Amino acid sequence: MGSYLPLFLLFVLAAAFALFSALLGPLVGPRRYNRAKLEAYECGIEPSPQPIVGGGRVPVAYYLTAMLFILFDIEMVFLYPFAVSADALGFFGLVEIVLFISTLGFAYAYVWRRGGLDWN
Amino acid sequence: MSALVTAISLAQDPPAKETLAPIDYGAIMPMLIILGAACLGVLFEALLPRHQRWSAQVALTLLALVGAGVTMAFYIADAPADGTLTLAGAIAVDRPALFLWGTLLALALGAVLMIADRTVEPGGAFVAQAAIRPGTVQDREQRLGAHPDRRDGARFQMQTEVFPLTLFALGGMMVFCSANDLLTMFIALEVLSLPLYLMCGLARRRRLLSQEAAVKYFLLGAFASAFFLYGLALLYGYAGSVRLADIANAAAGSDRSDTLLFGGMALLIVGLLFKGSVGPFHAWTPDVYQGAPTPLTGFMAACTKVAAFGGILRVLSVGLESTQWEWRGIMWGVAIVSMIIGAVLGLTQTDIKRMIAYSSIAHAGFLLIGAIVLTPDGLSSTLFYLLAYGFTTVATFGVISLVRDADGEATHLSQWAGLAKRSPLVAGVFTFLLLALAGIPLTSGFIGKFVVFSAALSDGMAPLVVIALIASAVAAFFYLRVIVLMYFSEPAPDGPTVTVPGAFTTASITLGVVVTLLLGIVPAFALDWADAGTFALR
Amino acid sequence: MTRAELLADDPLWLILIKVVVVLLIGPLLTVFMIVWERKAIGRLQQRPGPNRVGPGGYFQSIADAIKLPFKEQIIPATADRKVYFLAPMIAVTPALLAFSVMPIGPQVSIFGEQTVLQLVDLPVGVLVVLACASVGVYGIVLAGWSSGSPYPLLGGLRSAAQVISYEIAMGLSIVGVVLYAQSLSTGDIVEAQQNGWFFYLLPFSFVIYLISMVGETNRAPFDLPEAESELVGGFHTEYSSMKFALFFLAEYTNMIVVSAFATTLFLGGWMAPWPISLIGDNYFNSGWWPILWFFGKMFVLLFCFIWLRATLPRFRYDQFMKIGWKVLVPLNLVWIVLIAGLRAIRGESDVTTGQILTYGGIVILVIIGLSFAFDRGRVIEDDDQVPITGGGYPVPPLDLEIPKAPKRKAVRGRNRRRPAAVGAGTDAEKESNDGDL
Repeated sequence: MGSYLPLFLLFVLAAAFALFSALLGPLVGPRRYNRAKLEAYECGIEPSPQPIVGGGRVPVAYYLTAMLFILFDIEMVFLYPFAVSADALGFFGLVEIVLFISTLGFAYAYVWRRGGLDWN
Repeated sequence: MSALVTAISLAQDPPAKETLAPIDYGAIMPMLIILGAACLGVLFEALLPRHQRWSAQVALTLLALVGAGVTMAFYIADAPADGTLTLAGAIAVDRPALFLWGTLLALALGAVLMIADRTVEPGGAFVAQAAIRPGTVQDREQRLGAHPDRRDGARFQMQTEVFPLTLFALGGMMVFCSANDLLTMFIALEVLSLPLYLMCGLARRRRLLSQEAAVKYFLLGAFASAFFLYGLALLYGYAGSVRLADIANAAAGSDRSDTLLFGGMALLIVGLLFKGSVGPFHAWTPDVYQGAPTPLTGFMAACTKVAAFGGILRVLSVGLESTQWEWRGIMWGVAIVSMIIGAVLGLTQTDIKRMIAYSSIAHAGFLLIGAIVLTPDGLSSTLFYLLAYGFTTVATFGVISLVRDADGEATHLSQWAGLAKRSPLVAGVFTFLLLALAGIPLTSGFIGKFVVFSAALSDGMAPLVVIALIASAVAAFFYLRVIVLMYFSEPAPDGPTVTVPGAFTTASITLGVVVTLLLGIVPAFALDWADAGTFALR
Repeated sequence: MTRAELLADDPLWLILIKVVVVLLIGPLLTVFMIVWERKAIGRLQQRPGPNRVGPGGYFQSIADAIKLPFKEQIIPATADRKVYFLAPMIAVTPALLAFSVMPIGPQVSIFGEQTVLQLVDLPVGVLVVLACASVGVYGIVLAGWSSGSPYPLLGGLRSAAQVISYEIAMGLSIVGVVLYAQSLSTGDIVEAQQNGWFFYLLPFSFVIYLISMVGETNRAPFDLPEAESELVGGFHTEYSSMKFALFFLAEYTNMIVVSAFATTLFLGGWMAPWPISLIGDNYFNSGWWPILWFFGKMFVLLFCFIWLRATLPRFRYDQFMKIGWKVLVPLNLVWIVLIAGLRAIRGESDVTTGQILTYGGIVILVIIGLSFAFDRGRVIEDDDQVPITGGGYPVPPLDLEIPKAPKRKAVRGRNRRRPAAVGAGTDAEKESNDGDL
């Protein structure tokens, strides 16, 4: 655990730095508020889909991307331990990883063909 | 993240060459065939044009089921009598597992035939595009056929993804029955559940009801999975291993705190009982059975129950056998509650699918009696009961899907009045199936109940058997009520019609009825199979 | 002693010095990068760039940095104030943290204490960098969400989708390096490159890494989350004063981190480039010299960022996602299988390189052919599908032609026979619906 101590120190310092900077603005900056300044940025007509904070919804394509990301991220995460010990595992490891990748490849082909990767 | 870090830091200093235990491919081949075919099915979905998909998928699915059955038959011929452990001890292929696999494959064959049928409901019971919102123009078009000039097969589409999904669920069930450690069991539980949640929401008719069922099933199922996982974690904390045999050893001879053991056991069993729809963990059952597409309800009711009780049997007799005096009393209670809920609430139902759902809860209670008798007799009788119940259920839902009116299936009991006058054959078949569910002699249901109750009696559970007999009698009443309704009532003028099914559904119902009859008349061969061996206790 | 042992030996004062230095690298280089970028782009566009403050205008960003805290900070009334406050901090902290695992140099002596120029050499160093990049996304997406305003929300979502998509390509391209180095520690990876830098041993991984590092940092030509013409300022539209500066800092620090990471993974880290490395008995690879090589390589990569921004127009969002998901990810997986296969074959038996190249070439050609066969556009399958909008209501097909109107008296000066393409509205519609799929 000792080897993580510098990392922890750095984290504390970086977070303190960020906190300090974030607090600096309101401390030394001027405050001359009026109602127009506090409105959300808009141009033209008020848009009808509201942001989520106001009860709006998010396009479904983003959920799809997020789910695909999780799938492939997990694939990636499994590839790292394989890569580290690939030489020790030899051919067996290769066969297993090819099987693993191609199993995901089936799903990938499906998503591709059904337009899950298309944006328009 | 931290798990990953550990995994990688473990991989830091690998030995020169890993030595890996050989895998017994012959033993797990049926499983591999089913899961491989499911992957191939996904690829079919991706690559084939839409009009070829249905035929390709049906052919692939049936081939996979038959292929898995044949390889299993070859394997059984020279399988070791006390089973074999493979995949580093994660999978136990023993006699009960093989019996359950065979049951699952045969039941899935019946269910897949029903799922594939496109004659009863034009285009099949599954919707073409589930993402379309119910009630919109597009929804009406896909339900009623958008292009009247095209022939029926092309006019009505269905979501052919249901075939690979069914195979995935089936593969998960097979792994579930033979999982020798709790972690494998959990993965299998998820693999079998997720496709089912999804398919529940794909009914062509009554889409909102179907989607509601899917969401309910998903939410409650997720809870149950969480229970299972939490129980797993506690048991791991207790025994330091997720292997069932290790947990049994730890429980048999240790002075460790029992809190973890009992807490883990309770949560684990709750998760399993949920899947088996045993009361009081049955809340999802009626709604889901009612909302899901009927062929899928058949698949779910039969195969999920087989898988779940396969898992319960293995966990109870391999993992928790040494602590049976602690949990037995509670399981008595659960079985009684389940039988009473099923029998009493079944009486009040007016929808035939919900009625069968409550019947399945009552049956789950009977099955649980067999499952807590930890003798070889208890095991074999429960296995036999599962086989018998599964076939009867598949055929029952097959028949239910035939009675239709303009809005789809006519599931309200009042609509079934006088059905015998419209279609004596269907009424006769349904009567036979209901009698089997009630447990009348000459049907498989009678033999099933008989062997389970006698095994329980010989293990000293006479009070439980008495309660079970009373519950069967109460349950028989609501089966008989339907029979009376069909035969001794005047049909309503605007009542439903009985669809003449195509080859697939006919084959499926015939299979179910014939097996129900055979197991009722000559049960010996199946009883012998079920009695061939016990779980591999390693 | 190994690097890790040397580092474990560090006394606390040395650790503190290193921590402060590593912490300052990000902000200082950011200040420099901003002015450098502005001047370099100015020169590339034939204008001087900032030239007022300090010698040659090089103090411009210091002046800006001093100015920013004294600007008024405005939090929109619709914002979720707590998250709004936290978001820039979440963005900037991991960015600053990532530099900790970069090996900047070999063994040196600082005030008589033997150590290496690196804060920590973890066995999972590569994952630390990736984890920091992932956590940084939270800052962006939370900033967009908490602003309570549509433009930042869309910008934040886009940015999140983009960063996670390219993170996969990036992570997969690193797998090749890990495979060759057989370690996830950054120090080990640099030392594994003594016999050859990975950028030419793994050219494909290197190219993919370069592309995805630009996508990962939201920089031009992939700066879609901040596409001014569509989204005003993207996720930080509603941010002002120091909080805005923190996002800026995070973006530039991320650029610096991915460049340093590329240097470590592919360009030999702190090792001297080829002709120089031959001079003396490894003289230029020892002592304090490697700092020069490390930062030199890093600045070359950073200049590439500037160069790209000055040269290339912005991608369209769908093209951008297509490159990420349909090109980089599959090719990367094929490449990984290929090099893993090569290593396995080499390890098992005595196959010649020539044979491997021949058969490998055939396999690659087949795969490329297959990949072309894959993307033959959408097939017939959808031709009887009713097009729907997001609301589930039918829309007229794009190629709809309105039937000719019955003949009437010709209206002077107007051509009535032009088909009224319903699709005429699509361009404008696409513009406004962009990202609002």
